[in-house]
Formats: sequence, structure tokens, C-alpha cells
Amino acid sequence: MNAVPLALYVAAFVAYAWHFARRDASVGRTATTLLAAGALAHTFAIGMLTMEVGQVPIRGATSAISMFVWLLALAYLYTELTTDERAMGVFILPIIAGLQVIPALRPVVETRSAVLQGPLFSLHVSSLLFAYASFALACVIGITYVLLFKEIKAKHLGFFYARLPSLQALDRMNQRAIVIGWVFLTLGMIVGVVWATQARGYADVAPQVQAMSLQDPKILVALVCWAIYSFELFAARRIGWGGRRTAYLSALGFAIVLLNFVPISYFFTKSHNF
Amino acid sequence: MRLLLVGISHRTAPVELRERVDFQTRGVDRALQALAARGSAREAAIVSTCNRAEIYAACDDAAGAREELVSFIAEFQHVNRAEIAPHVYERTDLDVARHLFRVASGLDSLVVGEPQILGQVKDAHTTASESQTAGPVLNRLFPASFAVGKRVRTETGLGSGAVSVSYASVALARKIFGDLRGRSVLVIGAGEMGKLTALHMKSHGVPQVTIVSRTMAHAARSAEEIGGSAAPWDELDTILARSDIVISATGASSPILTKARVEAVMRPRRDRPLFLIDIALPRDVEAAAGEIEQVFLYNIDDLQATVRENLARRESEVARAEAIVSDEVEKFGAWLRSRSAIPTVVALRQRFETIRRAELERLEFKMAALPSDARARVDEITHLIVEKLLLTPTEQLKALGDADTVGAYAEALTRLFGLQPDKPRDGEQPADRGNVEPFPRPGTRTPR
Repeated sequence: MNAVPLALYVAAFVAYAWHFARRDASVGRTATTLLAAGALAHTFAIGMLTMEVGQVPIRGATSAISMFVWLLALAYLYTELTTDERAMGVFILPIIAGLQVIPALRPVVETRSAVLQGPLFSLHVSSLLFAYASFALACVIGITYVLLFKEIKAKHLGFFYARLPSLQALDRMNQRAIVIGWVFLTLGMIVGVVWATQARGYADVAPQVQAMSLQDPKILVALVCWAIYSFELFAARRIGWGGRRTAYLSALGFAIVLLNFVPISYFFTKSHNF
Repeated sequence: MRLLLVGISHRTAPVELRERVDFQTRGVDRALQALAARGSAREAAIVSTCNRAEIYAACDDAAGAREELVSFIAEFQHVNRAEIAPHVYERTDLDVARHLFRVASGLDSLVVGEPQILGQVKDAHTTASESQTAGPVLNRLFPASFAVGKRVRTETGLGSGAVSVSYASVALARKIFGDLRGRSVLVIGAGEMGKLTALHMKSHGVPQVTIVSRTMAHAARSAEEIGGSAAPWDELDTILARSDIVISATGASSPILTKARVEAVMRPRRDRPLFLIDIALPRDVEAAAGEIEQVFLYNIDDLQATVRENLARRESEVARAEAIVSDEVEKFGAWLRSRSAIPTVVALRQRFETIRRAELERLEFKMAALPSDARARVDEITHLIVEKLLLTPTEQLKALGDADTVGAYAEALTRLFGLQPDKPRDGEQPADRGNVEPFPRPGTRTPR
């Protein structure tokens, strides 16, 4: 079920790369169409799974990744449509296609646990997934900023100079993505704390609830992320940081998000493995 | 009908001569009227820029019209014919189309790929339309050239990249700051080059230009010229701190903006970018200042290097642009050839229509008893039969590849149906061949 969107995402990546290299407008439109088709197929896959298990599939780590990919595809499509810039696609699609490999290979097992019912849990997961999608965009925008910055600084106006929007535009897009991501990260974490306190009552049926503490790597690393993005916002607003510094911070922040999202979810956490 | 081009351009004539035959000085519309009055061409349009003066014409006799057009240029511009004749070039038929397509796409321009020429070609067509000297051939040729210009622009890199130093600075500024509206520009020195670049920035939306010079009077005069403001020399650091783009062009013998000075200016700005354009020789800005984070330093050599790179890149796109031109010339050629079948098509139609009418007249007395709507149906049905019979032959004739085949077909049809292609037949409106539609539009049928 998740293989069709994966195939479309891979095809979209090829088209975006082709468009980036040759700057052919019709190839660019094809790329966007393929990505939109992938997102649509993905919507269908998630919809089918929702009907099958009777709840939105965000409880298992694999289904959360699938959901994240879907949100990222939609967030990127939204950015592309509002800014009319296609150059970022070639950087964002590897993340989309790469992560989609996991749900395409592993069967999505949706656990039905009494402790995971209720709106608070759904709000917690979906807020964080949306925050991660924003951070992924910020990271890609930050990387392209650095690439363009280096070209202009080195007085070698070539490949990226001809293809990317202005430094100012990239800086602004990066900051906007960070603000949106930070708001949802904060919201998701607060809701998580509230939910965890309520879930204490289920400790006998769900031993994971007892592991909800700062010692758990998933929670600890999430706090580190929050600290990094909070600092980035503070530095941008109060110290006047921008440009390369915030770009590097965005890349660092997302690297940690990714670490928390994939390896820690699968192998290390004791609290978030329902 | 033949296509003919007679003209002079930067490739064949020196600027002094080009200035003297510039049609714009006396008005392209007046020139077209004078040309129409001479009656040597059926259609005409004039492309006139500071780099070229070209007459595009559709005529029956290309060789005669060529001489006539050269004489026209000489007489209209009051230039000795012998003086311009050696600089005049001519093209005929599809070479005319190729030439105009190359002109419109910027391939024939002094700076390859420059964008203004397309607008100038469009103006030429508009003026010819308004002066009613453009007919079916030029009304097809010129719009086709606009399409070629557009294709070359979007499908190749022929027009990309800045090819002058001041435009290169603007392009860079836009790549750093995005929109230039709301940015402030500081010019150090009251020289021409600095003013020119500042004016370029202004035309791209920079609202605020400040000029600082060691001599306040010079600064004030330059500021007045370009509509900016002047400031005294000792306020340089304060103004630097609030500027986004600095153009430095003084005659100073040692750098004015040292690394230490720029560092001091940048400290309170943090990561707000500063674009330093150093067009002075010797340099005004210490090269080491470019190492500071968020300081982008370009000197005149750097800018000239990007201009050279862009020109080289444009040159490398020429072959792709020429391929597009050839492609479009081919299409236009097919259309032009299809037109040579038109007289035969028209004669064939007239022949069929004459027979139809004659037969209806012959049967008039038999149909007299019929009600009028039934008679109208008969008229309609017979008309439809004629249309259907002619549909395939017309399409086939218009699709023929070359003039020889068209000639052979026309010959055969003329013999088979007893056609007289050149003479309008009984009672038909004598029409200009060029304006005849091979098919009548619905509703234009003559009522019986």
C-alpha cells in the first residue's frame, strides 16, 4: 500500500533533479504533478488504513513516519505553490522518498491500546509530526542558503546562483518555518506532558507509561531540540542573528530531530514504543 | 508573392551612416505612407532601432522591388544612393523569415540575446498595421517572429545573465536582498560611474540614494542630478551603518574602507548583509573586508569577470537558439507554400459555384411550384455538396510540399476543369489574391 506513493515520490525526485539541472519549465510542472500524485496516493493509503483499524494511524513508529512523510509532502507543496519556487524540491524529495522506504518495507502494525485513545494523544503526535515537517523544510532552506551564500561570497556565480531565490528570501522562509515548527513543537510537548500524567492510571496495562521521564532518550532528545530551536528564535530576534548562523542551526536541529524520529524510536526508547 | 528584405545594420554600416538613415527621426509611419504611395510593394513594415533600419516587404517582383526600396531609402532620408548602396544587404523569401526570426530572438543584436529588440520588432508590426501596410503575409510573419523570440527566451539561456557592469551589480544586489525596494544605497565619490550604477539601482526600486564626497559641493551637485541626497564626508561611518548597498568610486590613492573600518560598521548590524561595490581604480575597499561574515565585496574586475562569463554562456546557447529559428522557419515555409495554392483553390471554388448556380437557374421553372422554404433547402443542400466535394482537394493542395508540385497540380486542375486562375469570373468581386479566403466564412454566401 505504501509502495505506490514511494514510487511516485522517487519519480518526482528524478523530475525535480532533472528540472534543477536543465531548468526546463515543463519538467518542473511534471515534477510537481508527480509529487502531488504521490501525496494523493499517500492520502488514499492512510485513509484506507484509518478505515481498516478505525483510527488515524499514528500510534506505531512506522505509521508515524508515513504520516510525517505525508505532512512534509503537503507542507512542501504548499510552500512551492505560495512562493512559486521549485528549486527546493530537489533537496526535500530525498527526505520524502528516503523515509517513505521504511513504511513501504515494514508492514504498518497499528496497536489498539486503551491508553492511546482520546484526543490528547492524537493532538500530541500530530503536533509533533507537523513541527518535524516544518523543521525539515527549514533545514533544506538553510542548506540552500549556505550553498548560495558560498557562491556569492566566492565570486563564483554559477549553478546555484542561477537557480535559487535570493538570500533574503531564503532567510525569511527559514525563519518562518522555524517559528511554525517551534510553536507546534512546544504545543506537542505540553500536550504530551498532560497526557502522560493522565495515563498514569493505565500503568498496569501499559508499562511504557512508567518510563515517561527525562532519562528516556526520546524525551531527552526532544528537549534538546526544543532548546536548539528556542535559542535560534531568540538569537534571530534579540541578537540579530541570521543568514549562515541560523541556517547551520536549522540543519543541526533537524539532524537531531531525524535521529530522535528514526533510530531512537525503533531501538532505544522505552517510553514511546507502543 | 515574394518576401523581400532590404536594410542596413550594425554589421554592415558605421554608426554615422546608421544615424542618417534612422527612420525614427522622421517617423516610421510617415516612411510607410511614402513607401505605399510608390506602389512597389504590396505589403511593408519597417524595423528601426539605433542598430538597424530594415524594410520588410511582400511584392510580386523581388529584383525590381529591391532597387526600388534602396532608392526609396536614399530619397526618403536624403542620402546619396551610392553612399548607402554598399552597406545594404538583402534577403528574399524564407531567408527573410530566418533573418527576422534571428533579429527578434536577439541573435543578430550587438549584445547577443538583449531583450529590447523583441519589443522593437513588435512596435514595427504595430506601426505597419496602423499604417495599413501590413497584409496577410506580414501579419503572419511578424507574429511568428514574436513567438520565436519568446521560445528562444524561455527555452535557451541566450538572454540570461547580466552583460554590463552596472546591470551585473543590480543583479547581484537582487540575489542578496531580493526586492530592492526599501533598501538604501550609499555612493562614495561623485564620479560618473558611481552615479550610473546608482541610477540603475534606483530604476530597480531603491528609494534612497545618499552621495558622500570629500567636496560637499560635488556631492550636492551629483545628488541633485540623480535625485538623491548629499551628506558631508565626516558622516560616512554613520551612513555606512544604515546602508545596504555601497558603491565606492573615488579617486583616492589608498583604500577608504579598511577591514577594521568595515568591521566596526558591521558589529552593530550583526547579520544584516552589506553589499560593497568597489568600482574605483586603485581600489577603495581593502580586499580583506570581503572576509567579514555577511559582507559581499565585488570590485570592478570581479564584475567584469561575471559579465564575461555571462557573455560566454550566451554564446554557448547560440546553437540551440539557431535550431529553434530553423524549426520555426520551416513551419513558416510550409505556410508560405500553402499560399501558392490559393489562386488554384479560389478558381476551383468559383468554377464549382458557377456550375451550381447555373444548374439551379436552369431548374428554376420546375421549382417555382415549391414552397420557399423547400427552395431554400435545395440551395443549402447543393451548396453543402459542393463544399464536401472541394474539401479534400483544398486540403491536399494546401499541404503540398514544394512550389513545383503545386505548379504541376495547378496545371492539371486548370486543364481538367477549364479554370482561369487569374481572371475573376462572371460577376464575382475582383479580389486581391492575397486576401482571398480559400473557404468563405459562414453567412457570406450570396443569396439567390
